[in-house]
Amino acid sequence: MSNVIEMRRDRQEFGQESETTDMALFVRTSDESMNDWNRQRIVDALVRETDIDLDTAREIAREVEDLITTSKIRMITAPLIRELVDAKLIERGLEQARKMHTRLGMPLYDVDQLILHPNKENANVPHGPEATNLTLAERIKKEYALLSVFSQEVADAHMRGDIHLHDLGFIDRPYCSGQSLEYIKRFGLSLPNSIAMAKPAKHPEVLLAHMVKFAAALQSHFAGAIGWDAVNLFFAPYLTGMSDRDLEQLAQMMIFEFSQQAVARGGQAIFTDLNLYWEIPKHFEDVPTIGPGGEPTGKTYSDYLHEAQRFVWALFKVYQEGDGSGRPFFFPKPLVHITEKFFRTPGHLDFLHHICDVASEKGNTYFVFDRGETAKISECCRLSFKLDQTDLEDAKHPWKMRYCALQNVTLNLPRIAYLSRGNETGLFTRITEFIQRAVQAHLEKKRFIEKLLALGEKGPLSLLAMNRDGSPYLRMHRASFLIGMVGLNELVQIHTGQEMHQSKHAFKFGLRVIAHMKLLVDRFSERHGMRFVLEQTPAESTAYRFAKLDLKYHSPESGRIVKGDISRGEVYYTNSTYLNNTAVLNPIERVRQEGLFHPLIEAGALTHIWLGEARPSQSSLANFVVKVFQQTQNDQIAFSPEFTTCNLCHRTCRGLRPSCPYCGSEDVDGIARITGYFTKVSSWNKGKIGELRNRYRNQAFFEGREEGISQATSSTEITNDTPTLTLLP
Amino acid sequence: MGSVKIFTKAKCQRCPAAKEIEKRLRKEGVPVFQYDLDTTDGLAEASFYSILSTPSLVIEDEEEREVISWRGIVPTLEEVRQYLSVSLS
Repeated sequence: MSNVIEMRRDRQEFGQESETTDMALFVRTSDESMNDWNRQRIVDALVRETDIDLDTAREIAREVEDLITTSKIRMITAPLIRELVDAKLIERGLEQARKMHTRLGMPLYDVDQLILHPNKENANVPHGPEATNLTLAERIKKEYALLSVFSQEVADAHMRGDIHLHDLGFIDRPYCSGQSLEYIKRFGLSLPNSIAMAKPAKHPEVLLAHMVKFAAALQSHFAGAIGWDAVNLFFAPYLTGMSDRDLEQLAQMMIFEFSQQAVARGGQAIFTDLNLYWEIPKHFEDVPTIGPGGEPTGKTYSDYLHEAQRFVWALFKVYQEGDGSGRPFFFPKPLVHITEKFFRTPGHLDFLHHICDVASEKGNTYFVFDRGETAKISECCRLSFKLDQTDLEDAKHPWKMRYCALQNVTLNLPRIAYLSRGNETGLFTRITEFIQRAVQAHLEKKRFIEKLLALGEKGPLSLLAMNRDGSPYLRMHRASFLIGMVGLNELVQIHTGQEMHQSKHAFKFGLRVIAHMKLLVDRFSERHGMRFVLEQTPAESTAYRFAKLDLKYHSPESGRIVKGDISRGEVYYTNSTYLNNTAVLNPIERVRQEGLFHPLIEAGALTHIWLGEARPSQSSLANFVVKVFQQTQNDQIAFSPEFTTCNLCHRTCRGLRPSCPYCGSEDVDGIARITGYFTKVSSWNKGKIGELRNRYRNQAFFEGREEGISQATSSTEITNDTPTLTLLP
Repeated sequence: MGSVKIFTKAKCQRCPAAKEIEKRLRKEGVPVFQYDLDTTDGLAEASFYSILSTPSLVIEDEEEREVISWRGIVPTLEEVRQYLSVSLS
């Protein structure tokens, strides 16, 4: 066991020693070596780690030695010595020096709890030794980030819960990224720290292997999701002449490879997003194709429409079947881009029905709407990188299309309303202040990451610093800096007395808040030459954390505002700009109303349609999707059914049930979408459980009216007039 | 009585023409509201009507229901008057 000092009394009584060099005090330090007591080590540490003068350091070391000598302590830990030194620094008012001298770590009790019990901060992390390692490392890096990377003001704002700095445990990495397969198709798998370099793949299975390995390498360098652009299209040149059977096998391999990556870092599956197209996206139409061996095929991507379509169809066949137990695959997530060109591409209706069938049966399909000239790469729970003119130029060399969000900072919007006490000017001023704090956090994180990247291919972020095409892998000039929000609905409720779905006035006030935020981030982007963008933070644990902190700091008012069940501790704020989960709204009306916020939220937004046990027909959902594309501004939708899977008979049924309807076993797991991905309900935090209980499932709409739904959706007139903001009984 | 809502921005080449219509309508006593998308209130109102480009013009009836809209284009004064005669009567 490390960190233990043992006082040896085998030669003389410790207290009688006059010189430290003779003291028989052995220190087992954190590097597990036994060191003789040496007061000079305290002096060295103080001089090395802080900015205090040598005389003060010596004085402190002497005082600490006296304290230990007179205390007659028999067992002492190295952290305790450090704490004793820190106490002396505090006595002298040397607060900054104490901070610099802080030791990071965890109490024994906490480690014990961590090893025994699952961590529910992220439902995508299973419980096991790898996960424990991950969490332990994260705890120390979190402390490091708050003490050393961020300023006191930013760290305090996070600790108070004004803002939330996401993925602090991954402080030395960017947040998440969008990738192009063309990079590994062109350059092979040549990673800075790899012991073997692979030339560009010649066969589709090898390309898939490269993709999976590269994804794992990227996971080690990013905190969150890895999105892949136009996967079916970029695979297409490898698929010419492939039989249906082989193609389906390849599709199956891809989905299982990514879904079974729970053997990776921290036992955590790689959060993978596959961006898929039925058509050839306009910006890739005339792009020369990279084929087997990294060689140009002499054709353009337009020539591979057939292969791209066959592959994407095969992928959805695999999703339709589900895993070995008929469960939906949690990862990789398929995101189908619905564009103007989609509707002009032959076979689109059959394909739309195919993916809607999967959406109804398994819930996998995400419908990403790229209207007009918009093109984007989507990933994470809802994040997307909209392509501007420069990116569309880069599309001629698709391997250059590498994007990242460096960090995500979320604002606690209800907190702003509590503090403002109904004063509108005060409320908007506070929003500005909170955003200023978030911008400050981004500047500090950027500075830190740039310091790491400056160490180049020998540094800790060697993969991101590698240069194979004339620029580093991580293109900092294209990085986004995300500013998210939680609880717009509750901010509006506190300030106006009504939730957003309850009146037009309340809804419009919500729009004003987000419009104010949008204009502010644009202004900061211009000022700093960086891309600050609003995002609907998934807030898997943040919505819970903010609600808990506000119950602590803003009671009793917060007790009337937070959603969920306080008596069970299942509290949360409504996520981002969503309407209340319990509100009984026609789903297409919810999609429309929530979609009015989406053009303001450049870095990604999504509306969930909770299906519960309902299983609408493919044509009903297809009609729904077409209406959403044509008549709303909504960025992305997903239909979310719920399942129960039996751990005894391994069968899966619809709905969340306490026992298996097939064998009666109570050893079952519920499966539902937590934020932007499916997972087992048993791994959810309390806040999300509270939300799950409250979700209004649109069963009446999708089941009760199933017979007439096609007519209903096709005749629903979605106009730009006043929304029907009613809370039905 | 209904109203006309006009959405403009500072850096917008065709917006002066829309503002001219606004002036003319005001002189004629038509209730006109102008929203600048560079401001919080203007951007929020534009978002409510899914206005993504400027200039845009929306005619509403008494119940605040949209009668017609021109998005990213400037109608002629005659076109506007034609619809106003129906919706504001």
